[in-house]
Order: sequence, then C-alpha cells, then structure tokens
Amino acid sequence: MNTGHPKTPTDKPAAGSNVAVCASNVTMDFSGFKAVNNASFELEAGKFLTILGPSGSGKTTLLQMIAGFLTPTSGEITINGKSVDAAPPHRRSIGMVFQKLALFPHMTAAQNVAFPLKMRRFNPKTIPNRVAQFLDLVKLGDYGARRVNELSGGQQQRVAIARALVFEPELLLLDEPLAALDVKLREEMQLEFRRIQHELGVTTINVTHDQREALVVSDDIIVMDSGKIQQQARPVEMYRAPDNPFVAGFLGMSSFLRGTACAGGLVVEGQRVAGTASAAIADGAPVCGAIRAEQIRIAASEAQLGDCDTRLSGVVRDAIFEGERQLYVVALNTAGEAEIRVYHHDPLTFGLFEIGAPVVLGWNTSDMKIFADGGAE
Amino acid sequence: MTRTPDQDSFRYPLVWRLLDGLNTAADVLWPRKMARFTGWLLLAPALLLVGILVISLVQIAESSLHVLDRSTFMPGEDYTLANYATIADSATYARVLWRSLLGAALTVVFTLLLALPYSYVMVRTTSALTRKALLIVLFLPFFIGQVVRAYGILIVMGRSGAVNDILGLVGIEPLRLLFNFPAVVFGLVQYMLPFAVLMLAPALTAIPREIEAAANSLGANWIRTFRHIVIPMAKPGLVGAGLVVGTLSLTDFAMPAMLGGGSQDFIANAIYDQFFRTADQGLGSALALILVALGSVIVGVIIAFFGAGTLGMGGKK
Ligand SMILES: Nc1ncnc2c1ncn2[C@@H]1O[C@H](COP(=O)(O)OP(=O)(O)O)[C@@H](O)[C@H]1O
Ligand SMILES: [Mg+2]
Repeated sequence: MNTGHPKTPTDKPAAGSNVAVCASNVTMDFSGFKAVNNASFELEAGKFLTILGPSGSGKTTLLQMIAGFLTPTSGEITINGKSVDAAPPHRRSIGMVFQKLALFPHMTAAQNVAFPLKMRRFNPKTIPNRVAQFLDLVKLGDYGARRVNELSGGQQQRVAIARALVFEPELLLLDEPLAALDVKLREEMQLEFRRIQHELGVTTINVTHDQREALVVSDDIIVMDSGKIQQQARPVEMYRAPDNPFVAGFLGMSSFLRGTACAGGLVVEGQRVAGTASAAIADGAPVCGAIRAEQIRIAASEAQLGDCDTRLSGVVRDAIFEGERQLYVVALNTAGEAEIRVYHHDPLTFGLFEIGAPVVLGWNTSDMKIFADGGAE
Repeated sequence: MTRTPDQDSFRYPLVWRLLDGLNTAADVLWPRKMARFTGWLLLAPALLLVGILVISLVQIAESSLHVLDRSTFMPGEDYTLANYATIADSATYARVLWRSLLGAALTVVFTLLLALPYSYVMVRTTSALTRKALLIVLFLPFFIGQVVRAYGILIVMGRSGAVNDILGLVGIEPLRLLFNFPAVVFGLVQYMLPFAVLMLAPALTAIPREIEAAANSLGANWIRTFRHIVIPMAKPGLVGAGLVVGTLSLTDFAMPAMLGGGSQDFIANAIYDQFFRTADQGLGSALALILVALGSVIVGVIIAFFGAGTLGMGGKK
C-alpha cells in the first residue's frame, strides 16, 4: 500500500536504550510471494507488543521468524543484541504459546509445565516447587494432576502460558492463542495475559486479528497489512492518530470519503468537507477522509446538533441496535450520497430514527482525518 | 401448492431416482421398526466367518484328544491328553516353540525400529514427490507375495548371489547367509515392514507439527522430542503395529520353510508336517491349539496392559 507519506517505525525516536527485540528490514519471500515485506521495529524490554492485522497479513510468519522457526530471506532480527539464529531453537530463551496450544496430551498439566525445566536441565530438586509456583501464577494450583484433556479450554490456555513462562524466557511469543475461545473467556484471558505479564515483567509479543484485544492488552501496537508494517504506536495514540486509511479502518469503525484535496479539507463530488491532514498535501491531489463513528453526532435538525463545525444532512439507510449503542448508516444528500456510519450512545433516545428518516450529522473538523489516497481502504 | 411450469420441466437426475428406489426397496425389506437390529445385520457376515472359525476350532480341539493308532493309521477312539503330553515331553517342540516366540519378538523389534523412521519421513515430508515414491516402494512388495519374495531372497543372498558378490569385491569370503535363524528373521522383517509402516502412518499423522515445534521451543532437541513426545504419542500405533507383526510372524509358514531350509521350523511348519507328512492329525491339532492359545494370551495381555484404545478404537484405558 502506498500511503503517500510513508512513516516507517525507523523514523520514530529511538525507543529508549533498553531494546529487547529489534527487527531491521526483515523480508520473508515464499518463492516470489512476500509474506513479510521489509518490516522494521523495535521493542523495549518488559513491554507488551501486539502485532495486529487481518488474516493472511503475515503476522504468524513474522512471529515464526522472531522465534527462529523461519529464517528471513533478508534482514536481521536480534533479541537482546544477539542474532536470533545464533542458536538452534531448543537453545533459545523464547517461550511460545501456539495458536492450537500444542499441549502434550500424554502428560498431566504439571508434567507439561515441568517439561521445559527437564529439557533445560534445571536442578531436579527445584522443579516441583517451580512448577507449583507457576501453576499458582495462572490460578491452576489444584489442577496439576489433571490430564490435559480433562481441562476446559480456558484452563488449557493457562497451562500453555505457564509452560511457556516457567523457564523464565527472555521473550514470550503468543500466536493468537485466544482466537478459538468464546468472547467471554477471551476477554477474561486478555486481562489475565496483562496481569501475568505485569507480574513477571517479561517482554511479550502477541499476535492477533482482534483489534479490541490489541487495545486492551498492549503497551505498543504494530498494525500489519499485506506483509507490511502500517504503523507502530501506543494504543491510544494509534487510535487517535492513525497514519493511513488502513489503520483508521482496521482500528474502530470509520467511514471514508474520497475526493480531491483543497485548502482545509477535501471536495467530494462538488461538496466541500472540512478536515485535517497530518502532512502537507497538494491541492487537487486524490485524498481520502476518514471519521470514526463515535465522533459524529446525529439529530433531527441543525438546532439540536449543538457544537459542531461541520454539518451535513442525509437520510437514514439502516438502523442497527447493538445493545449498548445504536449504529446508524446515513447516506448524505450531497457528496455523492456517501454512506457515513454513526454510533449513537444515548440510551434514552435509542430507536429515535427510523429507516428513511431525514437527519443532520455533525462533527468537528479536527476529527475528519485526511490522507493522501493510495486507492486502498 | 400450485405446480409452476418450472417444477414440471425439472426432472430429477437418474442417479437420484435410482437412490430413491433403493431407499424404498430397503424400507420394504427392512422396515424401520427393525432399526434396532440393524447393527446385528451389518455384523452378520463377520459373525458368519467367525462362526466357521469357531466350529473348525472345536473340531480341531476334538481331534487333538485322539492319538494316532499306528497300526491302522486312524485316530484312536479314546479321549486322551497323550498328544499334549508328547509335546510337553519333546525337546524338539520346545525348541520350535521357543524359536517361534523369539523370532516373532525379534521381528517386532526390528520391524518397528525400521518402520518408525520410514513412516515418520513419509508423513512429515513437505515434498509430495518424496511421499509418493515412499508409498510406491512400500506397496510394491504387496504385489509380489510372500513366496516369490522369499525366493528372491534365496537368489540374492545365496552363495553366489549379489550380496556375496559385493562382499567378494571388498575381499570377504562368501558367507553362508541362508538357512539359518537370522535369515528367517530377515525375511520376516522384510515381509512385515509395509504392514508396520501403514499402521504407524495414521498414528504419526495424528501428531500435529505444532506439538514438535512446541517441544523444540521448550528446549528439546530432535532426539529428545522424538523420545519424549513423538514415541509416547505414537504409542497406540506402535502397539497396534507390534501386535499385527507379532501375530503374523508367530504363525508364519513360508519364511521359516523357505529361508530356514527345514532347520528353522516355526510352529506352523511343525503343524504342517503333522497334517501333511506324518498324517498325525491328533498331534497336529494339539500343536495348532497351543499356537492359538499362545497367540491369544499374548494379545490379551498386551491389550489388557495398554488398553483397547491402543488399537485406535475409542475408549480410554
Ligand atoms: N510456508 C509458506 N509457503 C508459502 N506461503 C506461505 C507460507 N506460510 C505462509 N504463507 C503465506 O503468507 C501469507 C501470510 O501468512 P501468515 O503469516 O500465516 O498470516 P497471518 O498469521 O497474518 O494470518 C499467507 O498468504 C500465507 O498463505
Ligand atoms: Mg496466523
């Protein structure tokens, strides 16, 4: 994707002196197909990084290269200053939780947790204590004697985490281990990940396609698409100031307007819409404006809108009740009848507008982000 | 419901109508209220076969209780355990029995040792070509049959066979490779290898690659991954393959007969001699029953020890 103003993480101010993981210009080429394309990032020791991206964007491939299961076609990855492939996988100090957990079914929970200690030749006398300590950490103190298939999904998850952490690796890697859980359990485990990570302070890289998970658990987020890193930032920063339309669309619910740049905004099919660009864009260049659904107000008349510097009228195309909020899809009367998605959060007035009702939308100019348009969304 | 022209013009494909017809016929022949006996119906052919086997076993048991009357060469009238006593007293039969058991055990060990890596490579290789080649090599012997293969071994390993020719090139005197116990075990291993590989393949396929990667990342090199993860997880396949190889070897006839040259008889060869050479049906029957009992006990003990789950049939131990 060409966003016009590439802002690779290497442009960022160096992330402290305490860099634990550093990838520079890493590419993985599967016979002509670049699953990871020139990716560079740094991760500070003790931080929780989430690699976020849609399915097939190259997240697993990047993680496998960090774990040393795959060797990059070009570029280098270092962990605490040492190149990843300086040692074979079984000598590296990396704990990994796999997408399908990969617990050993012929062992009990405690035997699973003890396995890395035995393989890494810990003093046999200390092993039982250490296993108990880490089973406690994941709140499975009483389940050590259970076989893996006698545990629930969430409990298996906890065993996998304990097993990956028990030998105190320099780095913990998580490859979508929560993807298979139901929503409630997933949200519970996300908080568990954060608690355990804070408690141990282990540098962690998590991979997910779930934007909520990324926002909830991470100190830092990397958004990937088609093998390329789109942006690296802290969660709030990334949410507030997406670097390009892809990030704006992937994190949260955004609507897009396509048109040409003009002073202080863009022109969409003859309608001028005010907006804010983070970089200078020449007048007349193709641009894309993005605005988040919760930053838009909806009302029956301009008078009821309150303080907004942009006001546009439209017609309700769809009204979707989502429980804690109502989603309206509104087709503007101008701007080529572009569709705008609006979250309405006031429970007292849910269901106020029917499909077909004329409405007015309002927002602040600063919330309409304008990007040079590379054609992708 | 009104019929639209569209429905009129639509004709069910012939196959659908044939299947519908079959369904109707089945409903008439086997009404739905008989459904709870369907399981038995499906088992009927197997039960029939087992029934024939049981009847013949009973007859063998019966004839094992009569001693051959040397004057008439007919089985005697009296019921007696004399045949079993003869076997128990005979050092020859003890040797044959021991040889069969040892041969079967060695065959199991060597076959599994060779089959496990072969099967592992076949299952894990990323190259479709390699997998196909390995499968073809595996199936070729099936088309050739045991006797022809044993004959092949006779030719290749004979005094002037290819093996001795090659040994001759490096200055080794021709060796006597045939008509001894190792030759029989060699033949049996060669015969059993495809069975074992085919039985191990599903067990190994069931072990996810991720599991091995996990063991690796947890600190196990490939040897320890194999020992602590792959072999324990493949245990059902190993036990199943071991049982099949063991029972087939224990009861084998052709390999000891052809590669043993008469000096390396297994139980089946002894039974054959009694039935078709000395015509002592009673003694042959007694030997046959001992073989059946021996095999059953071994299989029973192993299944009791490892559980029926080992044969890949649900149920925990
Ligand atoms: N071993 C491989 N050979 C060829 N293509 C691969 C291989 N592994 C992954 N890919 C391709 O690379 C892309 C990224 O895969 P992956 O890293 O698994 O994505 P994600 O984890 O983000 O869903 C996918 O299009 C996938 O088909
Ligand atoms: Mg993946």
